[in-house]
Amino acid sequence: GRLKMAAGGGRYFCTAGRGMEPFLAREVRARLGATEVDYVTGKVFFSTEAEPGELRKLKSGERLFLLLKKCTPLMVSRHKGKMLQEIKSLVTEEPKYWLDVISIWRNFHGHEEKKDDVSQENQLPLKRKSEEETNIATKRQKMEQERETVSEECQAGAGEGCVVPERKSDWDCQTESETSLEDRSKSSGEKPIANSEQLNFSFRVSCRCSGAIAKILPSQEIGRAVGIALMKQCGWRADLRYPDLEIFVHLNDIHTVVGIPLFKLPLANREYIKTAGLRSTVAWAMASLAEISAGASVLDPMCGLGTILLEAAKEWPEACYWGADISDSQLEGADVNIRTAGLMDKIELLKASVRALPLPSESFDAVISDIPFGKKFKITKDIQLLPDILQEMERVLRVGGTVVLLLSQDLHKRMDAITKCAENDSPNAISDGASETATAKALKVDGNSSSSVNGVEESCLSSQRTRFGSLVPDGIYGVSLGKTDAFIYKYRKISTAGNR
Amino acid sequence: PPKKKLGHPSELPPEPAPDYEGDESFLRRVHHVLLEVEVLEGVLQCPDSGRRFPISRGIPNMLLSEEE
Repeated sequence: GRLKMAAGGGRYFCTAGRGMEPFLAREVRARLGATEVDYVTGKVFFSTEAEPGELRKLKSGERLFLLLKKCTPLMVSRHKGKMLQEIKSLVTEEPKYWLDVISIWRNFHGHEEKKDDVSQENQLPLKRKSEEETNIATKRQKMEQERETVSEECQAGAGEGCVVPERKSDWDCQTESETSLEDRSKSSGEKPIANSEQLNFSFRVSCRCSGAIAKILPSQEIGRAVGIALMKQCGWRADLRYPDLEIFVHLNDIHTVVGIPLFKLPLANREYIKTAGLRSTVAWAMASLAEISAGASVLDPMCGLGTILLEAAKEWPEACYWGADISDSQLEGADVNIRTAGLMDKIELLKASVRALPLPSESFDAVISDIPFGKKFKITKDIQLLPDILQEMERVLRVGGTVVLLLSQDLHKRMDAITKCAENDSPNAISDGASETATAKALKVDGNSSSSVNGVEESCLSSQRTRFGSLVPDGIYGVSLGKTDAFIYKYRKISTAGNR
Repeated sequence: PPKKKLGHPSELPPEPAPDYEGDESFLRRVHHVLLEVEVLEGVLQCPDSGRRFPISRGIPNMLLSEEE
């Protein structure tokens, strides 16, 4: 196969947390002018001519890969050998192909190698002893089995929250492992006359396998087969811990995908955030819903470590940002984050309670907040606090302004009860249509909530329904936070007769 | 940024002079106080009620007590 890197453009895919795919799809179009945008659960595929620097700025994705191959799912057969052959053929290419891949990868990692050096094709002098290599490697191969999704991809820096890549969905029968072969053949004495760069080049195969295929071929076996095939072809050295190049192979019932990650750190690791609270991808997505325009005033009245404000201020710097919290330690952490990010001019902090905000009415264009209830606090207290919180948020918001909230699964049911607006519950459609799918998903997930519970809550809070009459629902998005699920709720403030 | 006790800055008059728009050195001092000075320790005072809100480490504490 030929790499589609004509005219500096390329085809990529980016992994995404569940629920983030529509946000990422919209972002690649807006930020990178991407075309041929396509997504499935957990991955967004796109083509773009954008430079690495621009690609690095993606905010709603997890890891970015250069797409090497995408094809129909592997045919499941009883003959494991046949399946392994097919899998090996995925990475079997002409030597120039892999040299091209390396040079693209080097470009992304800031190495500008002259094509001449790398193209010194060594004609695989290792070929003669490749069998020997394989035997040695097979004897000494290490197998690492990772059952958690939190694997090498979760390289948390000191003090940083751990970014968890896309969660396995329940119906997947997944095994997941990283496999690598340790090449000890250097001790065999025969020094190939290869390009020294080629010799020092190390790789690792990361294989994820789910669905029907996983039942027959565990991912470590697939990874091993791919690794051997690559070693034979290219003479690369296998290194589990610090490989130069990582080859990513993902096989499931939908497709087979081969790619190489382009950056060492996940995109969700922000160099401008010292201590992350909420996942940066979700925080950015919430800010992207708030419709922040130049000169806007934006408030997070329960800002915690300030993650939402940081993401918003970085992306939409021509606005004023305010954060409030009652906790000294959180405010201190937010202060450090803001200084580290160099955003002191943009973000103002207050020690204040969301239930009694020291701020004038109708003074903000957007209120964005991650409501912590239902995660840490007992759910029984929340029902009393939530109306007060909403009331203050509504008060400080200008007509036409937006409220964007992140709610836990438990809390969002209460929210529906509190803010139900007559018969009209359908959120306004957002043009890309993706939110409607997310809404349907959200409502479907919620389908098993008992009506009696809602009934009781409704009667208790019916007197409060009119309090939030000016907040109209404008979208619900289910997202994964790694271990738990949550919902982003968007509201818009409309003017109501009798207001003032 | 260097920490400085502001106290009662004698550099600024209690009220702007009638032709303050043309007084460049005055304007510079005002600009400095408004945009370049960050109060790390101090007090905010409500002009109506006189209620004082302490500022600590640059963050004003505006929590109200139960009675307020």
